[in-house]
Amino acid sequence: MYTLGIDIGSTTSKCVVLKEGKEIVAKSLIPFGTGTKGPMQAFEAALSESGLKEEDISFIMATGYGRTTFEKMNGEMSELSCHGKGVFFHHPDCRTIIDIGGQDAKVITLSSGGAISNFVMNDKCAAGTGRFLDVMAGILMIGVEDLETFALQSTSPISISSTCTVFAESEVISQLSKDADKNDLVAGICNSVASRVAALAKRAGIKEAVYMSGGVAQNGGVRTALSRELGCEVHFATDAQYMGALGAAIAGYEKL
Amino acid sequence: MNTNEIFKEFHKAAKDPKALMDRYIGEGKPVVLVAPVYTPEEIIYSMGCIPMGAWGADIALKESKQYFPAFICSIVQSILELGINGTYKGASALVVPSLCDSLKCLGQNWKYGVSDIPFIPMTYPQNRKPDFGHDFTRAGYERVIEDLTKATGKTFSDEALAEAILLYNKHNAAMRDFARLAAIHPEITAAQRSDVYKSAWFMDKAEHLNLVGALVDSLKESAPGPKRKSVYISGILADSPALLEIFDDLDLFIVGDDVAAESRQYGTDTPDKEDGETNLDALVNKFCNRDNCSLLYDVDKKRIDRIVRKASSLRADGVVVILTKFCDPEEFDYPLIKKACDAKGIPCILVEVDRQMENMEQARTMLQTFKDMI
Repeated sequence: MYTLGIDIGSTTSKCVVLKEGKEIVAKSLIPFGTGTKGPMQAFEAALSESGLKEEDISFIMATGYGRTTFEKMNGEMSELSCHGKGVFFHHPDCRTIIDIGGQDAKVITLSSGGAISNFVMNDKCAAGTGRFLDVMAGILMIGVEDLETFALQSTSPISISSTCTVFAESEVISQLSKDADKNDLVAGICNSVASRVAALAKRAGIKEAVYMSGGVAQNGGVRTALSRELGCEVHFATDAQYMGALGAAIAGYEKL
Repeated sequence: MNTNEIFKEFHKAAKDPKALMDRYIGEGKPVVLVAPVYTPEEIIYSMGCIPMGAWGADIALKESKQYFPAFICSIVQSILELGINGTYKGASALVVPSLCDSLKCLGQNWKYGVSDIPFIPMTYPQNRKPDFGHDFTRAGYERVIEDLTKATGKTFSDEALAEAILLYNKHNAAMRDFARLAAIHPEITAAQRSDVYKSAWFMDKAEHLNLVGALVDSLKESAPGPKRKSVYISGILADSPALLEIFDDLDLFIVGDDVAAESRQYGTDTPDKEDGETNLDALVNKFCNRDNCSLLYDVDKKRIDRIVRKASSLRADGVVVILTKFCDPEEFDYPLIKKACDAKGIPCILVEVDRQMENMEQARTMLQTFKDMI
C-alpha cells in the first residue's frame, strides 16, 4: 500500500511516496510553490521516480500553505502536524523541531510519543525566515546555498540590528558601501535569523534533542548560530526539506 | 420560528447594522454610538435613544491613518475610518470610554476627524472599588448625561433610568441563559453564536431580549447535536466572519467565551439601589462591581483563574486566545493565561487577528494544528 504526501510551501513543492507507512520509495522537490505549476510537477516527478501510477496511491495527503487547493488530495493537514510526524519518524529522540521555511518560522515541541505538546509561529513577517536569507543573498550577489561557506569563514561577524527585512537590507547595503568583509556580513545575517528564531523557540520551551527542518536547515551558518543562541546542539533532520511531505504521507497512511 | 429561523434573524441584524440604524432614526429614535468596552448604555436608552455598538469593521484603513500611528489597535482605527467615510452618518453622538490608551486617542482624534457626530467622553477611574472611584464614575456619568442632552435634546430622569436598568438586567440574564444552553448544544456554529452577541450591539435591547428569549425556549426544546472537539475562547473581539468560518470548517465547537464584545458584557447586573441611593448610583455600582476584564484594573488578576475555571467546568478541550493585534491590556494577560492553562494541563494557543486581515491562513494553520493537538 502506497501513500503520497505533498508539501506545498510558499517557494517550493515537495513530495514523498511511502510504502506501508514505513519505506520511502520516492521523493521530489520543485523550486516553485503554491499558485504555480510546482505542486503538479512535484507530484508527477514523485510518481515517475517511484514507477507508480496515480491509481496505485491509496491516499494523497496535502500540507503546507497550498494544501487546500491541490485538486488531487484526499485530505489535508497542517504543516506543523506533518513536520512533527516527519521528524519523529526519522528521529524518535526529537523533542523540539525548529522549522524555518520560506515565509515563516515555526517551533514545535513533541511528547515522548511524538504528539505535539506545544507550538508557536512567527508573526507574518519576513524577518527570521528563508525569505530574509534570499533577500540578503540577492544584495550580496551570491547564491543562497553559498551563505554557509561564507559564514564559516567569518572571523568577526557584523551585527545586523534591524528587525525588519527592509531595514536590514538598507543596513547591509550601508555595510557594503563601507567595504565590510562579505564573510563577516553573511555571518551577521545568519546570526540575525538565528537570534529571532531562538527567541521564538524559547517562547515554546526548548527540550532536547532539538532538530531543524525546512529549507533553511541546510544552512550550517544558521544552524551553528542557533545552537550558540540556544545553548544546545541543534541537529539537522535527515532530508530536512522533505519532513512536511513525509509527515503528510505518514498521516495519509494513518487514515487508511 | 424554529431555531434556525431565529438564528437567521440574529444574522440579519449582525450583518447589516446600517439598516437598523436607519430604521431607528426613521422612527424618531436618535442613535448614539457606543465604543468599546463598557459604556453606560442604560443612561442612553433611558433618554429615548438607541445605543448602538461601534466596534469598527473589517475594512481597509485609509483616512484614519492621518490620525493614528501604524502600530495601534485596528478596532479604534476602523471606528474612526467609518466615522470619516460617512458610514455612521445620522448618529447623534459617539460615547468613548477611557478604558485603554488607544480609546483615549480615538476620542481625541474623533474630534478632529469627524465634525458632524459629537464625541462624548466617559472617563472612568483606574481604581473603581473605593468610594472615590464611585464618585469619579458618577461624575463621568453626569458628564455623559449633560453631553447627551446637548447632542440629542433629550432629557434624563432617574425614574426612566430605573426602567432601562430593569430591561438591561433582564437582557443580561437572557444572554447568560443563552450561553449556558449554547454550551450544551454543539450543533450551534461559531458564526451563529457570534451573531447572537454581535446583534445585541445593534438591536434595541427590548427587541433583542425577545429574540434571545425565543432562542432560549427553542434550544430548551431541542436535543443537543453530536459532540465535537470544543474550545473556550478569550479576547477582545471574535466576530470576523473569516475567522469564524475557520472554526466551523475545522468542526471546532466554541463551548464558551471570555470575549469582551461577548460574554464579558453580561456578567454584571445593576444591583438594587440602597436606601438613599438614586438609580444612577446603582448604575455606578454596576461598573464598580465589574471584574474579570483585561481593561479593568485588578492587581490580583482574578480573571486568569476564572478563564481556567470556566474552561474546566465547560470541559473545553483547549483555550484559544484571540488577540487583537496591538491590544496592550490583552497582551499583558496572555502569558498569565498560558501559564495557568499549562499548570492545569489545558492546551492553550494564541491566535493574533486584526480588522485589516484579509488572509487568515496562518490562523487556519494554527487552529488546525491545535485541533490535532487537543
